[in-house]
Amino acid sequence: MGQYLPLITLLVLTGVFGAVSVVVSRVLNPPRPTEAKSSAYESGITDITEPPERFPVRFYLIAMIFIVFDIEIIFFYPFTMVYSELGWYGVIAIVIFSAAVFESFLYLISNGALDWGPARISRRSVIASDPDRTSTTTVRRVGADGRAFALDGEES
Amino acid sequence: MLELTETWYLVLASLVFTIGAVGLMVRRNPLVQFMCVELMLNAVNLSFVAFARSLDDVRGQAIVFFVLVVAAAEVVVGLGIIVAIMRRRQGADADDISLMRG
Amino acid sequence: MFGLPTQDEPIPFDELPLDDPLLFDEPAGVVIPDIEWSAIAPNLILMLGGILLLTVVSLVRGRTPSWFSAVWTISTAVFAGVTLVPLWQRVQDDGAESVMAGAIGLDGFSLFVTGVMCLSVVLGALLLEGYLRREGLAGPEWYVLLLLSASGGVTMASANDLIVMFIGLEILSVAVYVMAAMHSKRVSSQEAGLKYFVLGAFSSAFLLYGIAMVYGATGTTNLVGIQQFLSETVLTQNGLLLAGFAFMLVGFGFKVGAVPFHNWTPDVYQGAPSPVVAYMASGVKVAGFAGMIRVFVVTFGPTYGADWRPMVYALAMLSLVVGSFGAIVQTDVKRMLAYSSISHGGFILVAVAANSEAGTAAALFYLLVYTFMIAGSFGIVTIMGRTGDGLHALSDYRGLSKARPGLALLFTVFLLAQAGVPFTGGFLAKFYVINSSVSQGQYVLALIAMSAAVVAAFLYLRIVVAMYFDGNTYRGESATLAGPKVRIPAAAGVALGIAVVGTLWLGILPGQMTSVAGDAVAQLVAIGP
Repeated sequence: MGQYLPLITLLVLTGVFGAVSVVVSRVLNPPRPTEAKSSAYESGITDITEPPERFPVRFYLIAMIFIVFDIEIIFFYPFTMVYSELGWYGVIAIVIFSAAVFESFLYLISNGALDWGPARISRRSVIASDPDRTSTTTVRRVGADGRAFALDGEES
Repeated sequence: MLELTETWYLVLASLVFTIGAVGLMVRRNPLVQFMCVELMLNAVNLSFVAFARSLDDVRGQAIVFFVLVVAAAEVVVGLGIIVAIMRRRQGADADDISLMRG
Repeated sequence: MFGLPTQDEPIPFDELPLDDPLLFDEPAGVVIPDIEWSAIAPNLILMLGGILLLTVVSLVRGRTPSWFSAVWTISTAVFAGVTLVPLWQRVQDDGAESVMAGAIGLDGFSLFVTGVMCLSVVLGALLLEGYLRREGLAGPEWYVLLLLSASGGVTMASANDLIVMFIGLEILSVAVYVMAAMHSKRVSSQEAGLKYFVLGAFSSAFLLYGIAMVYGATGTTNLVGIQQFLSETVLTQNGLLLAGFAFMLVGFGFKVGAVPFHNWTPDVYQGAPSPVVAYMASGVKVAGFAGMIRVFVVTFGPTYGADWRPMVYALAMLSLVVGSFGAIVQTDVKRMLAYSSISHGGFILVAVAANSEAGTAAALFYLLVYTFMIAGSFGIVTIMGRTGDGLHALSDYRGLSKARPGLALLFTVFLLAQAGVPFTGGFLAKFYVINSSVSQGQYVLALIAMSAAVVAAFLYLRIVVAMYFDGNTYRGESATLAGPKVRIPAAAGVALGIAVVGTLWLGILPGQMTSVAGDAVAQLVAIGP
């Protein structure tokens, strides 16, 4: 049993450490959220509305694509250290590896993941060109008849 | 004066691993949960390197390469899933996402 | 402190022989490993098939016929399965060997598991075809991920090195995380994907930490090396090794959904797209158990069996009990089947706990039968989910026997097979498992397994009763007139046909497959003579 003692001690120690960290942070810094604290920058002008878009999703996509091509360097670096000794074996191996990595590049391009800017107009505006929209239909008049008209307009 | 042996790195690794594991179970924000996963994997990396040092065996260090790549792949997939969820709803929180029981 | 086999002190930097010509001018020659590509042909075909499919559809975006990806996937899996035959012959004639510089083990076990993985890919692709069309989801990505994840599973089953096994597991899992979240029209699918991802990454980290500990204790990650080290060396302090066992068991336990690491299973099975669940329940579990058997039974079994067997014993017992009783209170068919798959996992763990060759053969046979019957069951669930993949309540199956008698009959066969009724594969699978357990003296576990099978039978009968006898109304209309209206896509029909033929064939004429499973021994062979 003695041989397990360090292990058990370690497990207990880690558990205690985790628990203590949580408790201490609660004790030392009890969560008392105020309006100012929970606002975005804890200072400055209060937001009037929630921003409608936080970030375009595209940024996240680019970040994720970057990670893939960033991490492949991990395998290229050791290869460059020993490529002369590996000879053709190393070349073939790294070509296979690169083919597999850049295959995903092909897929990304074909899927339009790298098309920047308004490549296509997704929704054509109907407001400007609709002949039914005149000043009589869009401007709401004051008074009872205006209200009646507006109601009719909504129903139709 | 304490000598800094590999054992201390192993202790540190196990502490970091525990923090990651506890954090993953306690915190509800998926992004924080991802960070905890990264913490766990990197703790394992640290212990691999420490073992490689104490065994005087370079393979332990080579393993770290593979673990790093696996961690990156996992993060990309996890972020992809979160982005897919965020496109549909405001904010992603493991408690908000509870259509199903359990 | 940890019983590290500390070797010589590393040389301090200033004492390094920097002027040693061998160190810099003429470094010790790199030994180029002898790569025998044909030995890993099935795995290569699956992986290349996936990558090529992605390339082809990327190049001719949107101009491939809708059936193209499914046909490609099925032919790839069949082709990979065909290449198993000469390899199997070779292993049976010349014995097992170790290829790819000792990283991959070529033995009957890995080939058998590869075959089962190919089977589950074929069934999964057949179910996906009609499903994607019905749900209006385009995309070859599903099939690409299916093939890649299968190649990860094959890597895992044939790995001869813990790190290769870990990478195989990750290829398998990461692809399935994406597939679980890929139904873009259902929030619950993305929720399932996230849940599966977080818990899966958690369990992977545990497995990896276990691998690190075993590496620290034995000085190698190669399974052959570990086995040799453990049989030659008596560790005076084996705390690190035992902790490694425990951590790896947690990792594998999560992957195969063993209690107490099963919490994700019902939620993920309920939320994920049904054909993906069919693959998750069959392929992913098969690979998980294959990895588990390879590490625990084959590598650690001979020397440290007494240390890990109690842990697996406990997992098996809990899985059987929780799986059987948890299923009873469910009202959703997908959740019921999730619990039943937990209880099947318990059965396979019973065979693993036996720690014998007979136990491994029983586990392999069980996994084959299980693939047929669980893929068939989830195939029916796929069809019954109808557009939106949301109608999975037990009441949605009412009166199915009137509306679709054939479908109801097939589901009954699959459920009875899962319950272990004679003349189905399920009976023999359970029989062999209990047999192997009893021959190792695990009477209590065998008894629990049999009782759990009886309890689980109640669950299957509930579904059968709902289909045949329960209530004459379906959604307010007379069941005789209406019943659940479902369309059966041709491909899904083929999948169900294969599954039912397999289930019954293994129940009535099992001799051939049991001898194959018996021949599929797992062996660790060191590279070279």
